[in-house]
Amino acid sequence: MSRTLPLWDALVATLRNVGRPMVTEPLPWHAARERKDRYRATFALVHNELGEEACIGCKMCEKICPSQVIDVVAGGRKESPVTGKKRGYCDDFTLDLNACLVCELCVQVCPEDAILMLRERTPVGFSREDLVLSMDRLYANEKPEALAWHSGSVFAEIQDPERGLTPPEEDA
Amino acid sequence: MSFALSLLTGVVLGSLAMFVAAWSIWWERKFAARLQSRPGPTEVGPIGLLQPLADGLKLMQKEIIIPRAADKLLFVISPAVAAAGTLALFAVIPWSETVGVAGDLNIGLLWIFAVGALLVLPQWVAGWASNNKYALLGAMRSAAQSVSYEVPLLLSGMVPILLAGSFQMDEIVAAQQGGRWFAFWPPGPGALAFGLFYLCSLAEANRIPFDIPEAESELIGGVTTEHTGMIGVVLQLAEYLHTLVTAAVCATLFFGGWEGPGAWFGMEGFLAEGLHWMVLKTLVLFALVFWIRWSWMRYRSDQLLKICWHYLIPASLALLAVTAIWVRLVEGA
Repeated sequence: MSRTLPLWDALVATLRNVGRPMVTEPLPWHAARERKDRYRATFALVHNELGEEACIGCKMCEKICPSQVIDVVAGGRKESPVTGKKRGYCDDFTLDLNACLVCELCVQVCPEDAILMLRERTPVGFSREDLVLSMDRLYANEKPEALAWHSGSVFAEIQDPERGLTPPEEDA
Repeated sequence: MSFALSLLTGVVLGSLAMFVAAWSIWWERKFAARLQSRPGPTEVGPIGLLQPLADGLKLMQKEIIIPRAADKLLFVISPAVAAAGTLALFAVIPWSETVGVAGDLNIGLLWIFAVGALLVLPQWVAGWASNNKYALLGAMRSAAQSVSYEVPLLLSGMVPILLAGSFQMDEIVAAQQGGRWFAFWPPGPGALAFGLFYLCSLAEANRIPFDIPEAESELIGGVTTEHTGMIGVVLQLAEYLHTLVTAAVCATLFFGGWEGPGAWFGMEGFLAEGLHWMVLKTLVLFALVFWIRWSWMRYRSDQLLKICWHYLIPASLALLAVTAIWVRLVEGA
């Protein structure tokens, strides 16, 4: 008789769970997932406040990139049609997200705050080519409302407060 | 009952049985989850009710992989034979006084034992045709188990036959009219016979605690190892159908069939009898299978056969003797 009792105990033990509150919570699949303030994924090239392309083709991002996904073709120094001063230009800029580590070192070194990151979700594509950001696509990504919190000058401010935020016009 | 009407009832009942078997997978997952303090399926449909549809849609898209060394014809038809044979068991179940295909077959219970015993054949064939050691081991265990549990199943099934004096399913129900359900009356043998019959039916249908032929943890699913896609589903469906028909047979033999508890108190109308009582009893006994499945562990192969030959067969023989004495002395048959 004692050998059959555990069977009964097992039945009672499992049935008792039916009335109890559930231990497992349903997965929050239907709730919109909150995106953290500092979330960032894809890149954008931006214009400066004078309406010019901010990138001066200095190739610092290309040099610091650990996975060497950035390819910059410098355009040489020319006279700016807006200010009349000479400044550098960039002829072509390619960023291959396939191998990008999202380390944002390119953003940190940029002296002109020309390359920034977006608070949008990670881009997806059907082919590897879909994830290669050409210069046109990088400028198309310039959405002021979606820019991430940081830029090169913000990083400079954090790391060296005495230097202060560098006004872009002084550099130009 | 005319042939056409029987045919129509058969089609409707068969479809309903398969429908219930499909949805019982939802019920099993939900019930098992509640037994383990989990929510179970919640995503597809309200409280996950459409989960079987989603599962079916997914499984229909799966490729049916037939192993190169398999016996292709047997491999493909064995699940269909298993499902068809199990559906044939539903034929003799009387669902109510009027609903049923062949509830008045004079060898009703014999039909259930005979076809139920045949069902070991498609299981064995499925395992053999797979040409897989796990499937073959599962099939051998299944055959050994089914054949040995057939004996106490038959012997304990003889108890209601002795009490009712007939093999005919609706006469067995008729003998229980007036609240004299065999599970409660006569006190003792009936309830014990129900317990034995139910346990042996679990073994026949390869359910836990007697599901060593499938034993995912050691046999990777036994007979079903190589069956993929829809043919695997049909094999699984046959098992659920077998469990369902087992519940229906138990309800008929031991719980008064379509008679409701209202009849105990001399009431009439829907409380006393009707199709709904039979369905309710079947579903409750069906749920009991899941309750047992998620509470007990499976027995080892040798324990399984030992339980059968050392305990269940002597017990059922003794029960049969006691019932025979009861029938002779008390009821004066």
